Amino acid sequence: MVQEATESCEKIPSILEVKQLRVEFTTDSGIVRAVNDISFSLKKGETLGIVGESGSGKSVTSLSLLNLVPNPPGRITQGEILFHSREYGNVDLLKLPRDRMRRIRGGEIAMIFQDPMSSLNPVYTCGNQVTETIILHEGVSYQEAKKRTLQLFDKVKLPRPSQIFKSYPHQISGGQKQRVMIAMALACKPSILIADEPTTALDVTVQATILELFNELRQDKDTSIIFITHDLGVIAEIADRVMVMYRGNIVENGTTWDIFSNPQHPYTKGLLACRPRLDLKLRTLPVVSDFMTTDKEGNITGISEARFKSVGQALMLNYQSEEELREKHKQLISQTPLLEVKNLKTYFPIDKNLFGKPKDYVRAVDDVSFNIYPGETLGLVGESGCGKTTLGRSILRLIEPTAGEILFEGTNTLHLKGNALRRLRKDMQIIFQDPYASLNPRMSVGESIVEPMKVHGVLESDKARRDWAIELLETVNLSAQHYYRYPHEFSGGQRQRICIARTLALKPRFIICDESTASLDVSVQAQVLNLLNQLKEKYNLTYIFISHDLAVIKFISDRIMVMNHGKIEEISFAEDIYTNPQSEYTKKLIGAIPKGDLEDIRRATLKRKLAKPKGK
Amino acid sequence: MLKFVLRRIAYGILVLIGVIHVVFFLFHALPGDPVALMTGQKADPETKLAIRRELGLDLPLYQQLALYLNDLSPLSIHENTPSNQKKYEYYPLFKIGNHVLVLKTPYLRRSFQSNKKVSEILIENLEGTIWLALAAMMFATFWGITFGIIAALKQNTFLDHFLIILSVLGISVPSFVAAILVAMTFGYYLSDYTGLGITGQLWVDDPIYGRELHLENIILPAFTLGIRPLAIIMQLMRSSMLEVLTQDYIRTARAKGLSGFKVIVKHALKNALNPVITAVSGWLASLLAGAFFIEYIFNWKGLGMKTISAVQFLDFPVVMGSTLLIAIIFIIINILVDILYAAIDPRVRLH
Repeated sequence: MVQEATESCEKIPSILEVKQLRVEFTTDSGIVRAVNDISFSLKKGETLGIVGESGSGKSVTSLSLLNLVPNPPGRITQGEILFHSREYGNVDLLKLPRDRMRRIRGGEIAMIFQDPMSSLNPVYTCGNQVTETIILHEGVSYQEAKKRTLQLFDKVKLPRPSQIFKSYPHQISGGQKQRVMIAMALACKPSILIADEPTTALDVTVQATILELFNELRQDKDTSIIFITHDLGVIAEIADRVMVMYRGNIVENGTTWDIFSNPQHPYTKGLLACRPRLDLKLRTLPVVSDFMTTDKEGNITGISEARFKSVGQALMLNYQSEEELREKHKQLISQTPLLEVKNLKTYFPIDKNLFGKPKDYVRAVDDVSFNIYPGETLGLVGESGCGKTTLGRSILRLIEPTAGEILFEGTNTLHLKGNALRRLRKDMQIIFQDPYASLNPRMSVGESIVEPMKVHGVLESDKARRDWAIELLETVNLSAQHYYRYPHEFSGGQRQRICIARTLALKPRFIICDESTASLDVSVQAQVLNLLNQLKEKYNLTYIFISHDLAVIKFISDRIMVMNHGKIEEISFAEDIYTNPQSEYTKKLIGAIPKGDLEDIRRATLKRKLAKPKGK
Repeated sequence: MLKFVLRRIAYGILVLIGVIHVVFFLFHALPGDPVALMTGQKADPETKLAIRRELGLDLPLYQQLALYLNDLSPLSIHENTPSNQKKYEYYPLFKIGNHVLVLKTPYLRRSFQSNKKVSEILIENLEGTIWLALAAMMFATFWGITFGIIAALKQNTFLDHFLIILSVLGISVPSFVAAILVAMTFGYYLSDYTGLGITGQLWVDDPIYGRELHLENIILPAFTLGIRPLAIIMQLMRSSMLEVLTQDYIRTARAKGLSGFKVIVKHALKNALNPVITAVSGWLASLLAGAFFIEYIFNWKGLGMKTISAVQFLDFPVVMGSTLLIAIIFIIINILVDILYAAIDPRVRLH
């Protein structure tokens, strides 16, 4: 049945053909080829998924289609982009005069960007930004444009269209903003819709509704969609065909079913394997380097089959059996808790009266109680704004809680002051989300690691501290030479490892990881997650791992705590939460995760195939 | 909005009271004797003492301050005599013994030097300053924004570097040097071509035609006064524009198919204006406080020159009056700017 679907696609003419496209960027260290002579085509009504990690050239490719590559430093140096235009017939977009290109942008090819928070202009109303496009391309009156905008808002299922029309972007939620972006992109009935990571910045439940919307759009339109993402699960749900990019090249291109069921390229295998899974509990996550070897610049030098021959093998060889897990859990909760949180409340005043007394509060953490056992990883999961970050920071007293008790080995930390509090800070550490922002760019890596040791008087001499810092760098798979380097010389994953080394410098016993892998690529994320697990064994650590990503949480945690509106929805062992969620909210959350199973792909393909004739 | 303005005005009054105290004590810490400056070296001690008593300068400092505050306050207590009635032009509310609680416009006293009413002196000199400051800031804002945008769009080209060098020059040349250079070049050597003179007032009393407006006289001082704000506004506009141009919503605007001009003017400019408004308002307020050098060199009748000469002659009421006026100007401009921020950027809430 899947085969049939693929065949029927092949009869349809292509609307876009990219030939030998090359994009180069001029940087301080010379010319970098971001897109390296790639060719592909897009058929009418087809959804093409482009998958790749940061720096793979997927976004640059999509921007080239609209000739929007920032110039300087970027430049399209060769290639053809043949587009079948309604207005101008068959044209090469790269040779089109500027005014015609502008007619095509937003008119025939429209684009949706990753971050709806920053992609809408903050100083104009949502309505204004959509009507602008309609008036520009169709030359209709404002009244007509407004009418059509309201229809579009209705179509993308925005609640109360007329109110959204008058609202400024900061007044509506992230999901609503992305719907406004989609309405804007659809305004002139484009023949190609390019969506660049449209759901990455959104919560899973919101992501699910946006993907649903995309699926509906393609059913009643002859629109071709190019869907760019780093998330294979999302791709599996939406794309007919998938193109995998690595360092500016297309390494694999095929139907979604083929790519997922029988990946050929080692990089694709690696990507598929390193994604944390919901069904199996793995000991360590496979990483891309298990499948291929690369040189220093990241160019592929060979295929490695030393560890795993296939994705399936990678999974089968290291999953943990149920008995093993049960045993581990039993042992865990028989201990005395390391940390007990009792009725913790953290409120933020939102409205103050004339004398500065708060009249109303945001209940960010609202009466939360739980225990953490030594050696445990407690996963804390919830959507943005649920209070998970505030809870983490309240435990460390980076934010002062309003009420409650936090007992660390029996002492109530909320009563500690001065030196005692500092000693506590040494034992309890945090790793932040953004490794770019949490390292001081003016301090060398070594200084950054040694600084907290000096503050807390860990180790006697500078020499000893330096040796310990170097040992830590080696522990997190960096080398002693990196001690004198500065943060900008490192990649995101390396920086996060530096942050981890800095955290470990104080020999803490309890660490809060606040979305510590959220800004990393999947393959790098897998490495960092494995590292965190190794460190936990080596230094007897206890973690709270905060994340919005349930798959990541499932992999790393022993127990999971689900938070919603400042309250705990559910707290239970990781496996139980997934197999037998108790609260409605948890069920909704789990249901919304794109899983990327073959079963799901089969179902999605089938559904699309059945839906097609109805649309025509 | 109304609540916001009222609260800010209330804060403003507190600021004014603070300013009065600070300036009052600072002024009395100055060396020199205003009475000696008024009467000259040779006046006999008797006369000096009489003048001192008349001006209330013989009283202890705290009493002087109390009397001054009483004179300033719109609601105050005075001895109920016809001479006081004439002096303060008050409206009596009700009697307390032989004193009376009155309602009046703030009384700024009379100049030690000319015995003219301070309020009259200020009004006379304020007009020239206002026009000069407005003309200078309009010139600086318009060209500063224009050049700033051009420099940002042409980043790292020859034009960009050239504009930056010019603006650095504009910031670093002291205003009296610039004033002399401009006055000499355009008002003297090239005056045959420009038709401008070195000095001149906005209003010239002509013996035949009466009071005449001479707009051309404002060109050179306003230009000179505008050089530095122009340079700073240009640099702020450039950096703010560069930042805004990298924002995602600019890419969205381009992806819609808008022309480059529209992207800049509609989508980028409004977002880039905030730091520029801060600079413009700050400069406008300080220019309204008078620009001594410029006013001096172009012999422009304005607040700056008046204030400086009043300090020289220890003319306390005039110094106090102009300081208060300047403080009021700053307060009003700040309130207006906050409202302007909110008008331009809907994310700004007035608290």
